[in-house]
Amino acid sequence: MGIPFEALIPYGVMLGMFAVSGAALSKIRHMQNGDKRPRYSVDAWDKQMMDRDRRLTGFLRGQTDSVKAPPGFELSNPWRVEPTFT
Amino acid sequence: MAAREPRFNQHVLIDTTPMPSSIPPVQEVGASSAPLLSASYFIGARCKAYNDDFMKCKTDANGRGEIECLKEGRKVTRCAAGVLEDINKSCLEEFRKHWTCLDDNNQQLWQCRRLERGLNKCVFDNLKLEKTIPGTPENEVPVHLRKKQIFAHSLLSQ
Repeated sequence: MGIPFEALIPYGVMLGMFAVSGAALSKIRHMQNGDKRPRYSVDAWDKQMMDRDRRLTGFLRGQTDSVKAPPGFELSNPWRVEPTFT
Repeated sequence: MAAREPRFNQHVLIDTTPMPSSIPPVQEVGASSAPLLSASYFIGARCKAYNDDFMKCKTDANGRGEIECLKEGRKVTRCAAGVLEDINKSCLEEFRKHWTCLDDNNQQLWQCRRLERGLNKCVFDNLKLEKTIPGTPENEVPVHLRKKQIFAHSLLSQ
């Protein structure tokens, strides 16, 4: 007596939909991280270094090993402006 | 400054006024986080005196360090840029492989020890700089010299 595969087709469809959406989200996350694995456990130091990378290369995960900074790098560190209370 | 309440900030201001011409300009270091982490121990080996000077100046300045320690800071920047330039000239391939590995692994040094050994050997041969971890107890093997890295994800990269 064979297994009733027609009854299992809906489960297969559900599993396939989970798999496809999971794979698509994973691919999007991979692409958003500059085709690299995403960073985890990012603390304030890592945030600050990634911000510096963005000022150096234009991308949050961009890396460069040039010795000289691009022109304008010295002046691109922003001041964080706070709301004033009058 | 330390006792002020933090407030959220959404707006940034980029001030493009250049520094006054009385302050000698210095070329900023252009390496981003992964190459800098990779070269950090070699920068420490060569520039220890300048770095210690700068740190001492900042602790002694009691909050005014940004303004008063510019001279020491220039020395630190020039020394670090010098080390990076030497590494780029002599060991570029191993350096690039190591920092690419670090970038793939969340900037964790213990995942990339195999490539680090190659880089350490090349830098020691060419530049005579050796990586030491300050503060290792005397009777223990330093972590970067151990055979087995207990937290590494894969056995291949140890």
